[in-house]
Amino acid sequence: MNSIIEVKMGGLAIIHGETDELKTFVGSCVAICLFDINAKIAAMAHVMLPKKINGKQRVIENEVGKFADTAFAYMLNNMIQMGADPKRIQAKMAGGATIFSHESETSLSNIGSRNIAAIKQILKETGIPLISEDTGANFGRWVIFTLSSGDMTIISNLKKTRKII
Amino acid sequence: MNLKSNHDDLRQLDRVINSFIVSKTIPSLNVILEEPIQYFHKKTQAIQITNLDLLISNFEEMDVMSAVYVKCGGDLNIGVLWYLLEEESKPLAVKLLGKSHLNEFDKLAISSISEIGNILTASIVNAICNEAGCKIYSSVPGFAIESLRILLEAIVSDFGDLSDTIVASAVEFYGLNSGIKLQMLLIQDPKEAKKIIA
Repeated sequence: MNSIIEVKMGGLAIIHGETDELKTFVGSCVAICLFDINAKIAAMAHVMLPKKINGKQRVIENEVGKFADTAFAYMLNNMIQMGADPKRIQAKMAGGATIFSHESETSLSNIGSRNIAAIKQILKETGIPLISEDTGANFGRWVIFTLSSGDMTIISNLKKTRKII
Repeated sequence: MNLKSNHDDLRQLDRVINSFIVSKTIPSLNVILEEPIQYFHKKTQAIQITNLDLLISNFEEMDVMSAVYVKCGGDLNIGVLWYLLEEESKPLAVKLLGKSHLNEFDKLAISSISEIGNILTASIVNAICNEAGCKIYSSVPGFAIESLRILLEAIVSDFGDLSDTIVASAVEFYGLNSGIKLQMLLIQDPKEAKKIIA
C-alpha cells in the first residue's frame, strides 16, 4: 500500500523508497519536485515566495519550503546526503497560478508568476533540467508526485481535469 | 510593540473595525442589497501566514467561492477579501444587473460583483483613513472563483513579502430577506495594524 506524505503550505518533504508519494495543493504557490529516479529519492517543496527579502522573515523548521532559494538549498543538500547523484537530479513543477483576474492590467503583486520565474532561474543556475511543468492559468491544483514512476499527477477539482506530466 | 502577542491590542482593533462595520459598511450593503442586514463579527486574530487552517472552517473546505479582492497600499497595506458561495453569487449578480436569470458568469456579472467588493472595501478603508489620518489607495478589484484555501494562499503570499504573520479580521453579513451570506476578511501587517488603534 502506498504511503502518501502531504506537504503543507511552505513545507518541504524528502522521501526515499519505492512506494511513497508526495502530495500538495497549490494556487499561486508552486510545487517543485526534485528527484533522482535511480536512487529513488525525491523532494517536494510548497514554495510561497521567491526569496527572503528582509530580516523579519524567518525560515522555521517546518517551513523550509516557503522561499524558493532556501528550499532548493535544503532539498539539494539533503538529497545528496541521502545518496542522490547531483548529475541525475531532475525537476518537475506545477502551480504559480494568477488567481485573481482584473478587468484592467493593474494587478496585485502577481506572486504566481514571480514564483515560477524565481524557480526557473534557480534551476538554470544549478543546472538541474526541468523535465515538465504545469504552471500559470487561474486555478488551484492538487499535485501528486509518484517516486516509483517519476510521474507528477495534476488534478483540478474546479476544472474537473486530471493529467500526468 | 508586537501586536501578535498583545491580546489587548487585538481586542481594541476588533472594536475599532466593528465600529467601522456598523457605521459604514452595513449601511452601504443595506443600500446595495435593498434589504436589512445582520452581521456577525467573528474575531480579529494574529496568525502565521502558513497557518490558513485558522481561517477556514471544515464546512468551507470543499466549497467553491466567488470572491473579490482589493489590495490597498500607501500609508497602510491592507487586503480586503469579500466572498460568498458561488451558487449564491449568481442570484446576486442577477439582482444587480436587473436580469431574469444568469447562465454563467460573463464579464458584466463579474463586473457587478467586483463593484460590490469595491464599494464595500471603500466603506471600511475610508473609515480607517479618517481614523488613522493616513492616505490609502486601492487596487482594481480582482475577481476569482475558487476554493477559500486557494484564495487565501494568493493573498497571504502577497503579504509574505512584508511579514511572517498577518492580522485577520473576519465578518459575516446576512441579507435577511434573500438569505445571502457574504463574508469579509480584512488582512493587515501586524505592525501596521497598530497604527489604526494608536
